Amino acid sequence: MVQIVISSAGAGGLAEWVLMELQGEIEARYSTGLAGNLLGDLHYTTEGIPVLIVGHHILYGKIIHLEKPFAVLVKHTPGERDSDELGCETGTQYQVTALIKNKILFKTRPKPIITSVPKKV
Amino acid sequence: MEDYEQELYGVEDDFHSQFEAELEVLAELEGERGSSFSLPMAFLEGEDQRGRHMGRPRLSFEEAITRGGAAPHPSPARSLRKDKDGSRKREGDSDAQRDGPLPPTPKRPRLEVVKRLDFGSDDELMPNYPLGDITPPPSPEVPAELHDHGYGPRNLARSHPRPILPADVHNPVLGRPPVLEDYVNVTSTSGDRVFLVLRDDPVGTGVQSPLLEVPWHSRNQLDLLGVPFASLREQVDNERREHLIEEAQRFSDVLRRPEDEEEAAQSTGPPKEEPEAADVQDTSQHWLWVDEFAPRHYAELLSDDFTNRCLLKWLKLWDLVVFGREIPSRKPRPSVEPARPGKETAVSSKWKSHEQVLEEMLEAELDASQRPRQKVALLCGAPGLGKTTLAHVIARHAGYFVVEMNASDDRSPEAFRTRIEAATQMESVLGAGGRPNCLVIDEIDGAPTAAINVLLSILDRKGPQEVEPGGQAGPAGGRRRRRAEGALLMRPVICICNNQFAPALRQLKQQALVLHFPPTLPSRLLQRLQEISQQRGMQADPGALAALCEKTDNDIRACINTLQFLHGQGRRELSVRAVQTTRVGLKDQRKGLFTVWQEVFQLPRAQRRRVGQDLAVPAHTLPTGDLGPCVTDVALTSVSQRFHRVLHVAASAGEHEKVVQGLYDNFLRLRLRDPTLGAVCTALDWLAFDDLLARAALHGQSFQLLRYPPFLPAAFHLLFAAVHVPQLIFPSSQQEAQNRMNQSQNLLQMLVSGITPSARSRATPQALVLDTLCPLLDILMPKLRPVSTQLYSAREKQQLAGLVGTMLAYSLTYRQERMPDGQYAYRLEPNVEEICRFPELPTRKPLTYQAKQLIAREIEVEKMRRAEASALATQGPQVSEGDLPGAECPVRGEEKGVQHPASRNHEQRLERMMSKAVFEEQPERDFFGRVVVRSAAAPTEDAAPKTESAEWRMGTAVGRSHVWFRFNEGVSNAVRRSMYIRDLL
Repeated sequence: MVQIVISSAGAGGLAEWVLMELQGEIEARYSTGLAGNLLGDLHYTTEGIPVLIVGHHILYGKIIHLEKPFAVLVKHTPGERDSDELGCETGTQYQVTALIKNKILFKTRPKPIITSVPKKV
Repeated sequence: MEDYEQELYGVEDDFHSQFEAELEVLAELEGERGSSFSLPMAFLEGEDQRGRHMGRPRLSFEEAITRGGAAPHPSPARSLRKDKDGSRKREGDSDAQRDGPLPPTPKRPRLEVVKRLDFGSDDELMPNYPLGDITPPPSPEVPAELHDHGYGPRNLARSHPRPILPADVHNPVLGRPPVLEDYVNVTSTSGDRVFLVLRDDPVGTGVQSPLLEVPWHSRNQLDLLGVPFASLREQVDNERREHLIEEAQRFSDVLRRPEDEEEAAQSTGPPKEEPEAADVQDTSQHWLWVDEFAPRHYAELLSDDFTNRCLLKWLKLWDLVVFGREIPSRKPRPSVEPARPGKETAVSSKWKSHEQVLEEMLEAELDASQRPRQKVALLCGAPGLGKTTLAHVIARHAGYFVVEMNASDDRSPEAFRTRIEAATQMESVLGAGGRPNCLVIDEIDGAPTAAINVLLSILDRKGPQEVEPGGQAGPAGGRRRRRAEGALLMRPVICICNNQFAPALRQLKQQALVLHFPPTLPSRLLQRLQEISQQRGMQADPGALAALCEKTDNDIRACINTLQFLHGQGRRELSVRAVQTTRVGLKDQRKGLFTVWQEVFQLPRAQRRRVGQDLAVPAHTLPTGDLGPCVTDVALTSVSQRFHRVLHVAASAGEHEKVVQGLYDNFLRLRLRDPTLGAVCTALDWLAFDDLLARAALHGQSFQLLRYPPFLPAAFHLLFAAVHVPQLIFPSSQQEAQNRMNQSQNLLQMLVSGITPSARSRATPQALVLDTLCPLLDILMPKLRPVSTQLYSAREKQQLAGLVGTMLAYSLTYRQERMPDGQYAYRLEPNVEEICRFPELPTRKPLTYQAKQLIAREIEVEKMRRAEASALATQGPQVSEGDLPGAECPVRGEEKGVQHPASRNHEQRLERMMSKAVFEEQPERDFFGRVVVRSAAAPTEDAAPKTESAEWRMGTAVGRSHVWFRFNEGVSNAVRRSMYIRDLL
């Protein structure tokens, strides 16, 4: 019988995150990988429509309320060495750090942003 | 033209009385000046003077011509002026100065004259001429000698003189060239040509006559006469035409058949023609007897009764659609029936059956548009049988108006169509008396095929299927229908031909009611000839007439023409001798080829020898020994007659080559009663001789030799003619041989062009045919075991290789073909077997299908090998220079070695392509699409952004971000991962 302990930090203090779903792939321009790079800018229009600017693309999305909210868990393992042989006995704990009740869905085809128009055609 | 001139001369007297004054003056001038010499050059001088004497009237050219035919045109002023001019002229040059200040009195008439004569244009043309110079030119001049002696100067006062004019006025302007004197011919603007007599000018000075001032090139018609001359002439023409029409009317009245045609048909005996003959007796000199004695009624027809009746029946079938009459109502009419027993021919059973067929055809139902089944009747038979006459008589008899087209008409398809449609769809308003047309197309065998096709297309037009039944489809209804359908043929068409086998008629014959004319019965012809000669007062005994009939082959037209000819020669008696010596003009007729061959191979039927017939048989030069049976069989028809007859037939046949080919193809099929084949040898000699002749005539263009070829059929006739009817076939051997030769030559050409050059140098076509090909075919047939090539022994392999080499050297191969029976077979290509094998000989056992297939395959492979080898030979040096020595290559076998350079090339090409291709540097990913970070790649990319730092910074957010988004369209790229609980723990 496996028991996984999930504990929350506090009832009122939970942060609420937003899930962002993109239809497509985020790719790094250089082979350095995505880590540490700025994805882009997220704005909201006056009508509350989310607008994401990634690279030279602009994406329009919408906010969707999730029927089943997600929880963001953080795994806490007591020690490296113990986890291999002892498993659950050592008490791996999960802590709920945030809740996700809404997601922003970008499923439309992105529109290109043209920054430099050549002077001469 | 001659009588016309005569008429003109008749008016001459009148003219003289009208224009006596002018004539007088002219004569007077003449008398003073004397005769002069005329040349057209002098007219210029005349015009020169005309400028000065503006108002002086001049005799125009037309006037000079029309002097005879002048109509009364009193012009006193003119004559006055003329008088004045004349006198002035006579007085000499000094008078000319006085011309200017003329007394006012004569001025007015002069102006009048100017106006009337309308010389204005001419006068205006010459204003620059010097007025003063009046010296007569010394050059020859126009003849002024209008009238000679007896026309001295007369009274020139204004009173009109009345001279007596002699009738024989000498006119220098002649209508036809003078016989004895020199002359100049002059043509006026209106096309009249007159002749001026040339005279010497005895005086030499040559004074001008007023004639010089004739406005030769005045474009306007002179109005000297009250009525223009052209209209006068027209009037005279009209008169004559009316006269002619009147005459023609009278004749046609005479010729027109009586209104009641049935009655005329009923009368069996030929009606007497005496009253008509008496009527036309005076004009009969200009008539052909053939026309004069042509039958006017059905009963007078000489042609075969049955044929006549058939045509009439057929024509009557049209009654319903044309006249709206019921057909049954016509049936009981006796007009058709009584002619039947009058048929006196002993008809053969064969003919009877044909007769029945015809009867059945005529009894057949009408078609949907109430027309007879056959829209066309085609009369065919030899010339002079009365076909045209029959068509005309019967059509008129049945109440039609005959529209005839014959060989003299335009026969182009368009013209043909127009004429047919005009004849069949319109109705003549004038003359026909409201009778419908019946189109008779004569000599249709001479028409071009296209024209006949036009006729066929008109026949083929379909009528509407719904036709009101019964007879209430009257003419009005019929016409309405016709109009609605446009061009449905509603009138009978009768075609007449001599040669029914003309190729153009083939189509037509299937749709037509074909009526063959049997030869005219000699007894009837004889009777008619006797009638004619009696009416013309010729003494002709029946024997002579019978001889005439025989001579002309019972050709009615030729008989009657000959009779008339003899009559015209003044002979009142016709003897056998006269008939024999007369050359009878037969209508030019082309006999069909089969007729010619039959003439050659068949003896004419024996005829009774007639008394007085000169049968002087000159011993002919041909080998008589060969024609023993022929001569004995038909001793009565003389050999020389037969000879000449066949000679004539052969000469008139035209297509000599075809004739000879037919003879060649047929003469061995005959029953030869010659055990030694001497006749055959002679015939072959003749054929060879004919070839030589033709060759000499056509090669050397010595066409005088073409006189001799017709003797070949004559010789054949004498050699092979027999009594029985020969079974003739159309010659095809020449054509076949020609075709085969062409085919063989083409094959040879193909073969030679494919032979390798080394072999070709020794292979001329002739040598190939005579020496090479036959053995070659044997060489090409080795014995091969029907097993796979891998199992062949070395010897067999060598044999096969040799075979393939030989075949390739002669560019022969086996090609698969589908046989007509659906099987496949391999055949030699080019199929030289056809060249050197006689088809009659038994063929050698051919190779099996498998063997041929094997050989064909080997040949293909060998060809490819050779092509590669040659390609290698040309590419060799380049490849050896190639820098890549090919790692695995040296191990390969010989054949592989051949293929090696190709692969090397390929590899090289690929490598070059690979090196050229630019690879986009893409980040490596792991299975989940995560980018695998490469440490080595990092430093290179750092350099680039830094160089373009300004832009870089500006566009970090938008253009130059490190991250970019790739949209996946319509794809959910969700990744499902299996999670294990142990991972969670």
